[in-house]
Amino acid sequence: MSYQEKQNIVNIFSGLLITGIFTWTVYQRHLEGRFDLTEDFTKWGVLFLIFMGVSMIARIIIYIIFHIINAIATREEDVPVEDERDKLIKLKSTRNSHYTFSICFVSAFILLAIGMPIYGIFIAFLISGLLAEIIDNSSQIYYYRRGV
Amino acid sequence: MVKSTIQNSIRKLRFLADEITQQQLADEVGVSRQTIVAIEKGNYSPTLELAFKIANVFNLPIEEVFIYEPKAEKSKKKK
Repeated sequence: MSYQEKQNIVNIFSGLLITGIFTWTVYQRHLEGRFDLTEDFTKWGVLFLIFMGVSMIARIIIYIIFHIINAIATREEDVPVEDERDKLIKLKSTRNSHYTFSICFVSAFILLAIGMPIYGIFIAFLISGLLAEIIDNSSQIYYYRRGV
Repeated sequence: MVKSTIQNSIRKLRFLADEITQQQLADEVGVSRQTIVAIEKGNYSPTLELAFKIANVFNLPIEEVFIYEPKAEKSKKKK
């Protein structure tokens, strides 16, 4: 398995883990009554900004750990240089990821139009982001394995 | 599998050029070994620039390294 494939698998699991832990923590606080996410929409803004910050820091840490473990396991310290094939794969995967996000985004508005509560749109954003990321990384694995 | 209609004779040419490794060829043209593997298998069609660089390594014109096969594309369309 190539470095890029391993990195994509790590990205998928870290995305699921970070989002899972963060949403569970927020939901517990909501249940405890610390804030009301069904009414307080400014809180959603704050939570999304915190989530972005936490996610970035967590990903950097996970990436460093992955790189160290990979270097120990394979005895290859250098990160492979990105060439034209890598760039094309990233480009196609990003396209798939954008399609996914757009479909989820439009679906959220359709659900809103047929009676979904407004806070549901924020949950839809979160799910869209996570799905888009999974599709992005899965597409990359697919293109690396099956050709582009 | 995504097979390209551009075939190549890189494997044969590597053998004829004192069996240079995929890694050596990759280093010469500035790509990863995985990219050379993908090109050899026909899973990736290189850009014109990379194709010229590869041909240049073997001191051959590009048409002797890469061959376009339009027949494969036609048969795909029929399916």
